[in-house]
Amino acid sequence: METLSPGAFAAIGAGLVTIGAAYGIGKIASSAVEGIARQPEAANKIQTTMLIAAALIEGVALFSAVVCFMALTTS
Amino acid sequence: MTESFDLNRYIKHHIMDSYEWNLPFINPIQLPEGLSLHGVMLIIASMIMLLLFVVLYNKKKRVPTGITNLLEVFVLFIRDEIAINALGKEDGRKMTPIFCTFFFFILILNLMGLVPIFSTATANVNVTAGLALITLSFMIFGAIYKNGITGFLKAFTPSGVPVPVLIILMPIEIVGLFIKTFALTIRLFANMLAGHIVIFSLLGMVVLIGVFALPAVLLALLINLLEIFIAFLQAYIFTLLSAMFIGQMYHPEHER
Repeated sequence: METLSPGAFAAIGAGLVTIGAAYGIGKIASSAVEGIARQPEAANKIQTTMLIAAALIEGVALFSAVVCFMALTTS
Repeated sequence: MTESFDLNRYIKHHIMDSYEWNLPFINPIQLPEGLSLHGVMLIIASMIMLLLFVVLYNKKKRVPTGITNLLEVFVLFIRDEIAINALGKEDGRKMTPIFCTFFFFILILNLMGLVPIFSTATANVNVTAGLALITLSFMIFGAIYKNGITGFLKAFTPSGVPVPVLIILMPIEIVGLFIKTFALTIRLFANMLAGHIVIFSLLGMVVLIGVFALPAVLLALLINLLEIFIAFLQAYIFTLLSAMFIGQMYHPEHER
């Protein structure tokens, strides 16, 4: 562990962020597709809701990515 | 090419703000005092918006065609789907200009970042923080002007909650106001920054490994196309979330 550069932990953190974000957005997309399959008339509202929810989750993920960036550049 | 190529410096130089503007075939332009590259991008985006909406917009025909039609599609979408949905009919119509400004300004800045001559101003946290602070000032001062100070504080107290829980809940709701603004800032900033870092990292591989970087260049092309979609999406999401947050502050009784 003594030879790991500080960038290593930032990279591991960024990978974990990706796992969390992709899992969350994948669940949203799967229930959105299932909802559209059940009721095609509601496709517009479901699509709008899916985009809003995905953007909110992505906002949290990118906040963590910015923290990883800061960890990369300080000591 | 005998000098060594620093990938970090290459990426940083293309993304961060600087005091000179590199155009092809001429010496770098030293920007005047008090102006930086992203400031010039903001001015150019305002000029493009003025050009689109004042010069190219043809008011004389009854049935819009061409650029007029395209702009009207976007403005009607913002008025009907974003402003009136979040704020009700009369407030929605009054607040449509600010949301149109947000949408077109962010969209033009994002798309300008994909053109090699320009630089992405929305990848600068100060620019996105400025836009999010406009939303915050609408949320605070607009709600105080509309509902009065007691009405503004009523927005932080959900109905049907006993008083001890309320004492804990109110500071959380007030902090939530600033967290929403912070999230707006970081979402737009990090999306634009991450996309451009990926593109420049892939293009920097060309100098490092020569002709074997052809798959990297193709991948950079695909990511550039994805970035166009992300540009539209982030502009829409910023506008939509601003409208929703301002609507929550203006009409607190509707949300619960």
